[in-house]
Amino acid sequence: MKISLTLNGEARELEVEPCRSLLDVLRNEAGLPGTKKGCDVGDCGACTVILDGKPVNSCLVLGVEAEGREVTTIEGIQPAPDRLHPLQEKFMQLGGAQCGFCTPGMIVMAKALLDENPSPTEEEIRFGIAGNICRCTGYTKIVEAIQAAAEEMGK
Amino acid sequence: MIGESVRRPDMPGKVTGRAQYAGDLSLPGMLHAKTKRSTVAHARIKRIDATKALAYPGVKAVLTHHDVPRVLHYGSPHPRSASVTKDQYILDSRVRYWGESVAVVAATSEEIAEEALDLIEVEYEELPAAFTVEQALAPGFPPIHERADNLVVDPVVVRRGDVDQGFAEADLVVEGTYAMGRPTPAYMEPNVCVCRWDDDRLTVWISTQTPFMVRGSLAEVLGLPHHKVRVLVDHMGGGFGAKQDLFQSEFLCALLAQRTRRPVRMEFTRKETFLGGRSRHPGTVWLRQGFKKDGTITAREARVTFNSGAYGSHAPGVTAVGTAALTSLYRCDNVHLEGRCVYTNTPIAGAFRGYGVVQTYYALDIQMEEAAERLGMDPAELKLRNAVREGDLSPSGHPIIGHGLEDCIRRGVEEVNWKQIRGQGRKTENQEDSDPGPIRRGWGMGCEMHGSSAYPGIKEQGNATVRMNEDGTVQLFTGTTGLGTGAHTALAQVVAEELGVRFEDVSVVHGDTDVVPWDIGAFASHTTYMGGRAAQMAAAEVKEEVLAIAAEALEASPADLEIRQGRVRIKGSDRGISVREAVSPKKGLPTKQLIASASYTPTKSYSFAAHFVEVQVDTETGQVDVLQVVPVHEIGRVIHPVAAEGQIEGGIQQGIGHTLTEDYIVDPVTGRSLNAGFVDYKMPLSMDMPPIRTIILETAPDPGGPFGAKGVGEDPIIAIGPAIANAVYDATGVRFRHYPITPEQVLEGLRQKRKG
Repeated sequence: MKISLTLNGEARELEVEPCRSLLDVLRNEAGLPGTKKGCDVGDCGACTVILDGKPVNSCLVLGVEAEGREVTTIEGIQPAPDRLHPLQEKFMQLGGAQCGFCTPGMIVMAKALLDENPSPTEEEIRFGIAGNICRCTGYTKIVEAIQAAAEEMGK
Repeated sequence: MIGESVRRPDMPGKVTGRAQYAGDLSLPGMLHAKTKRSTVAHARIKRIDATKALAYPGVKAVLTHHDVPRVLHYGSPHPRSASVTKDQYILDSRVRYWGESVAVVAATSEEIAEEALDLIEVEYEELPAAFTVEQALAPGFPPIHERADNLVVDPVVVRRGDVDQGFAEADLVVEGTYAMGRPTPAYMEPNVCVCRWDDDRLTVWISTQTPFMVRGSLAEVLGLPHHKVRVLVDHMGGGFGAKQDLFQSEFLCALLAQRTRRPVRMEFTRKETFLGGRSRHPGTVWLRQGFKKDGTITAREARVTFNSGAYGSHAPGVTAVGTAALTSLYRCDNVHLEGRCVYTNTPIAGAFRGYGVVQTYYALDIQMEEAAERLGMDPAELKLRNAVREGDLSPSGHPIIGHGLEDCIRRGVEEVNWKQIRGQGRKTENQEDSDPGPIRRGWGMGCEMHGSSAYPGIKEQGNATVRMNEDGTVQLFTGTTGLGTGAHTALAQVVAEELGVRFEDVSVVHGDTDVVPWDIGAFASHTTYMGGRAAQMAAAEVKEEVLAIAAEALEASPADLEIRQGRVRIKGSDRGISVREAVSPKKGLPTKQLIASASYTPTKSYSFAAHFVEVQVDTETGQVDVLQVVPVHEIGRVIHPVAAEGQIEGGIQQGIGHTLTEDYIVDPVTGRSLNAGFVDYKMPLSMDMPPIRTIILETAPDPGGPFGAKGVGEDPIIAIGPAIANAVYDATGVRFRHYPITPEQVLEGLRQKRKG
């Protein structure tokens, strides 16, 4: 069936199977494979996207549920082709990514966190990304990157 | 350049979502494959019938053991110089563990393939199953593979000196058995591959650490020449050692693609990544050591027993490396070590960061603390007294360079104020005038050393090709894969430094077996050490040619020239030309092609670490929290500090998980996997992770690595475990000799202690 949604600021119409998760719809039908599938059952957070302003595990949302709604994926975080979001800059600079597989979900989750709380404490950051599993970094550098990005954005 | 945390070229793709992983690929007409897995742990397949599945609309092919070539092949794809075991079929008429693949389906969608799995009928004739080493070794238990004794290979025996003499000289003998659970690597990217045939040529997109081993194995088993198999790996979502193996899915995906003449994609679910993946080897280490009153170790005897699971995979290597590691870390002239690895009907253990040494050093380091207490010595002092040093014989058989371990211990002791902080938890408890409350804190330390490269088990070879373009920019061709460690960046830094050009002017070509030089794979903490050295050697050859060309233009001798910041200069003068100018076409004529390849055959270098850990134990719930970690690592010359720290911090995260929460559990009655998912297999999350204050020393550089660099990937996961166990003891006075140390066990331990 056909759904209409605003995807990364753009009006899109997609033909989707009713049984498909939003994650599969994004990766396949919408051609946006930046959102990753780490578990497909809502345990790892790699597929985090922002749905009407709230972060969700896109594997736990049906594609058809996105009808008429606004979705932001990792591909929609970058503000302009020649410019990166401060989160993206700081993740690169401070070692917030290693293998990079959790990174899209992590950055999208951090974006949702900073949208709601522009200057979070370390504890609030750790709580904010508690549903996003990273197996490479030990989280220290991710937390530092989010903190640094928040500072940068607050300037 | 060396020692600068330059921007990693793999990062922009990773933070924008543009980085392509094998699972992101979509090809026209692509089919999706799914695997049917056994529901019994050990059985003969009496009957398997795919008729109904084949008739299901959308299903394009089904393969059972009747439909695939029956070729016995190696479980681990390492070069044949290593002791590897030939014990796997693509699909067998027998299953040896719960969850083993019995059939695959290719269909037009994942959903259809999944539904078709249920239509495949399988009748099993069950066989007695062994879920523990004891069961498999019991007299008369039927063989799981060819060998009647259920050992994967002959026992590993290491002898040095005379242990009887050593124990006779000892004032104190300490003995214990240490037991290890079954942690899994749990990389975030599930196993995935896509296969496509173009006439008689097979192309495979895959997440693997060893593309050339995948090519070699596919070629060997499917009967293809190497030039007809192309393996492509771009970004990959972690591997931690386990993605060195082939998982049978590669062969099956290729065969499905061949049969359907369409591209086929096969992605494991998270559950399958547990079932069909590889874990660390569970096992036990029985260890006995003799000590003089002054702490000198006089003898060491050990029996290491690992559980290999249903297939051999890396069992020979892991057993050899883990066992031989016990010759070292703490000096001892008289050792007798034996290592065994046993088949059982459980999921397959394989290569995983730390490769057998995690287990054996957990035992060794904890026992050092037990000995220290009985000798009335500070454990740090005892470890320092016995620490291996310059000239000592390493496990690989050649002399240790430098004093890395002693440096790490000394620095950490000073950094955390070791002598003052220990014993605080128990001191509080013993103060009669105040209620100490339920919370105890304690400090512990753990030490380790680990080799870069798999020598002497494998005589490795690192290869690189460096080409300079006519504008002075440089391309490094390497076969090593990027697991996420930043290795390609480090290699590019090495090339830039050697050539004297800017980092931005070097790019790395990788991930295509048709294009890049042969590579053994990214494992054994050797990529920077070995691949980096090969890259440096190739760059040096190109540099020589550039200097020869520039010497002509500058009318100088090449020996008087140097290259810095992309400029060739006469040493000690301002006269020079840019590299670009030197190598660009002259009067329309191109310069000769500037390209060089180098091969490097390393031996081994050792890196060292001492971890200092503070834990908090809630004596009412048994909960252990790690409050802070101060890891001190000696890793030779650091190429990229942020990436090196990242390796250390990530290894600590996995090690905390191993020691406290992670254990992949097999039902002792059915052999069924009980926690194949992230809810029940509990890894540390952001809230669980303590602050980590990483200290990196560069006091024992190794001439075998580029600019003195050594490996770092595996070290951190080894030292953290015993540090935590020792800290729990410091906090509570209860000694744990196993991992994971669970809250129930902590409570039980405290109860036993109170009972006296």
